[in-house]
Amino acid sequence: MEFGWSTDQKELRAAVIEFAQNELSAGSRDDDSTGSFPRDKWEKCGAFGIQGLHMPEQYSGSPARDLVTSLYAMDALGYACADNGLTFALNAQMWTVQLPILLFGSEYQKERFLPAMCRGEFIGAHAVTEEHAGSDVYSMHTRAVRCDGGYRLTGRKCYVTCAPIANLALVFAITDPEKGKWGLSVFIVETNSDGCERGPVVEKMGLRTAPFGDLILTDCFVPESNRLGPEGAGLTVSSNALEYERCCILVSQLGAMERQLEQSIEYAKTREQFGRPIGKFQAVSHRLVDMKLRLETSRLLLYQAAWRKQQGENASLDSALVKLHLSESFVASGLDSIRTMGGLGYTSVAEIERSLRDAIGGVLYAGTNDIQRNNAARAMGIR
Amino acid sequence: MRIEKQSIEQLILDFISSELADGTTPAPQDDLLTSGLVDSMGMMWLIQHLEDEFDTAVPPLDVTIENFGTVGAIAAYMSRRLTNSASGVSSQ
Ligand SMILES: Cc1cc2nc3c(=O)[nH]c(=O)nc-3n(C[C@H](O)[C@H](O)[C@H](O)COP(=O)(O)OP(=O)(O)OC[C@H]3O[C@@H](n4cnc5c(N)ncnc54)[C@H](O)[C@@H]3O)c2cc1C
Repeated sequence: MEFGWSTDQKELRAAVIEFAQNELSAGSRDDDSTGSFPRDKWEKCGAFGIQGLHMPEQYSGSPARDLVTSLYAMDALGYACADNGLTFALNAQMWTVQLPILLFGSEYQKERFLPAMCRGEFIGAHAVTEEHAGSDVYSMHTRAVRCDGGYRLTGRKCYVTCAPIANLALVFAITDPEKGKWGLSVFIVETNSDGCERGPVVEKMGLRTAPFGDLILTDCFVPESNRLGPEGAGLTVSSNALEYERCCILVSQLGAMERQLEQSIEYAKTREQFGRPIGKFQAVSHRLVDMKLRLETSRLLLYQAAWRKQQGENASLDSALVKLHLSESFVASGLDSIRTMGGLGYTSVAEIERSLRDAIGGVLYAGTNDIQRNNAARAMGIR
Repeated sequence: MRIEKQSIEQLILDFISSELADGTTPAPQDDLLTSGLVDSMGMMWLIQHLEDEFDTAVPPLDVTIENFGTVGAIAAYMSRRLTNSASGVSSQ
């Protein structure tokens, strides 16, 4: 068992941290309060090579990093970039749009969409959820009906990350209603197609710089060349994508938790009450230890799951546990850091409260934590 | 490797009965998927089990209702896959 990082991996981490501190952090508070997507930063990430980290050189322009190394870089990005919404949107595209296209796409689809997404020119979304199909996702209604040269899609997806600004979306739709969830197919919908409408940004509690909203399809023509995998492959693509999503999408929140902990420790050492630093009070220092424990256990779970996936092993239980533990840890530690900083932590100026708002979404997306507990229980043989 | 389709079928039936369907043993031609006898997660476990047993990998896009809709179809698919991989031919 090897827990260390190589020199190359450490250099990558240092480069990502330097990039993010210099280029991504300024202005995050304003972007959060106005709910603005920082497109310039997204493009800078593309130019730096963030979106292309795990993509083969022919699409990204630089050699692909393995999964664990790519996640290590995204962990560093979360540490150094104060905008958790931006890192969330990047992870959403990398693991739930680019990766399924890489794994299941035709050469035409890879050539057409991956380089533009890697460069930061295109933004991709993953559209599954519908108003009446959330946790019960396979009860979706969006239909794809065969027509000359392709399909016509009709339906409405909701809460889709980056839908209001996306150039393309992986849309899950029913091609054969008789076959239930085995009759699902996936389509790469280009959002400038006739019949495809991007809804307005839906205001939300946190991750406000990652806009989300509806994607409305009305008899929208999608050519056969934009079907991802064969007809009926929707369930397979979705199971595969969900496992990656649960393992990877929260990785930058590990880094954010590390940043939060460092700020809390610094504050506990310097803020004095009753004539001594508040860190001298056991109530405060124990809280910081709990934050450290959550950070380290989340980190171990995540890299173990990623390592398993990298070996080609089944990681469904591991991925459910990562999603569950990391998201709940980020919420608990967000609250603990506010408690530690007192009234200052509650103000927007200190930029501490934002992380707690950003953390809440994590217990919902990629399958709620109740659903993760259901999945984990089943994987443990409890039915 | 030469493995009889019948013995693959038995292995699948045993796994479904003991691990996925609480003692219910389907007939080889029973619809597993749209009937809900095996849900999507159950199917993933069954595939993992077959991969471990036969030391082979099932490509995700082979997991279709045509190949995995009934015990008989799964056994036929696996038997084709094992025969083809022994002779270096793709299974689809
Ligand atoms: C920030 C954010 C980003 C998102 N991004 C995307 C995206 O990019 N693409 C996309 O398609 N969707 C996205 N979603 C939607 C997300 O996947 C859904 O919100 C989620 O799956 C839950 O569905 P729902 O909101 O309809 O809640 P419901 O399914 O209605 O659940 C409501 C409550 O019931 C519980 N519940 C439901 N069924 C069960 C059960 N069987 N056992 C136990 N408890 C149960 C849930 O856990 C929850 O507490 C995003 C959501 C958020 C918050």
